[in-house]
Amino acid sequence: MSILELVTEDCIKVPLESKRKNDLIREMVAVLEGAGKINDSEAIYQAIRTREDQGSTGLGEGIAIPHAKVEGVSELTMAIGISPDGIDFESLDGQDAKVFFMILAPPDKAGQHIQALSEVAKITRSAAFMRALLHSQNPAEVLELFQE
Amino acid sequence: MAGPIQNILVYVDGSEESITAAEYGVCLAKSTGASLSALYVVNTRALNDLVKSRIFIASEEQEYQQDLENDADKYLNHVKDLAHKKGQTIEVFQKNGAIHTEIKHTIEELDADLLIIGELSKLQSRRDEFYNEVERAMRSVPCSVLIAKDEDLVWSLYESLA
Repeated sequence: MSILELVTEDCIKVPLESKRKNDLIREMVAVLEGAGKINDSEAIYQAIRTREDQGSTGLGEGIAIPHAKVEGVSELTMAIGISPDGIDFESLDGQDAKVFFMILAPPDKAGQHIQALSEVAKITRSAAFMRALLHSQNPAEVLELFQE
Repeated sequence: MAGPIQNILVYVDGSEESITAAEYGVCLAKSTGASLSALYVVNTRALNDLVKSRIFIASEEQEYQQDLENDADKYLNHVKDLAHKKGQTIEVFQKNGAIHTEIKHTIEELDADLLIIGELSKLQSRRDEFYNEVERAMRSVPCSVLIAKDEDLVWSLYESLA
């Protein structure tokens, strides 16, 4: 599975406008709703919040991967957002998060969900890639980076 | 003299492509007389990596492992049904670990001489080639590999079996 199979320009927002964690989650959920990928945005927001309450998905080094297994999506879905100034996402290293990958999967797609999360995890290990991603100015530039 | 194909292993991951591979495996086993096996790998390596990288918490790892084990049962039973409907015997295996490693080990254990996999997704970047687990398996297994393509054609071949 390629991340490019999951993400289109309308699922990417650069820059994100929110300054607080909950607002940012809502903003990214709204991106997916605007792209026609989800229906019940409130249920999806709550599912992500519930997961965040169990432990932040702010991994550190400016990266966060909020995710949830939810009924409100028919297929694996991903949004990417970049907040150049960063926001407090309660990350483990205490640093602000700047790059966000939101991944939602229906309950019966566990295999694909794990595959997508693994691929994002591998990508985020490349400091050079993450630097380039952080400096993207618009969704098209983000997609270009994934195509390289 | 025995034919070139004696022992077929089909890799099943629940995707439509892998089910097509299983249908093709049934067709090939019926026409060659080869024995047929199917493998599903619960990717516990990926689950462990997600915990190590702190994307998953421990309870998520357990929950998703259970989901994957349920998927393994569901898809291996489906493949069994596909084979039995056409009078073909099949042995199914569920293994835990890294996908490419478990495929290779199972081929060695079964002494399989043909691996059948489903069509691989289109490469959209150099990164995809590097990260694709089934492609890694294809490169590392000691036997020949067949990629089943054309879902409609394979289905009609399968349906036409007695």
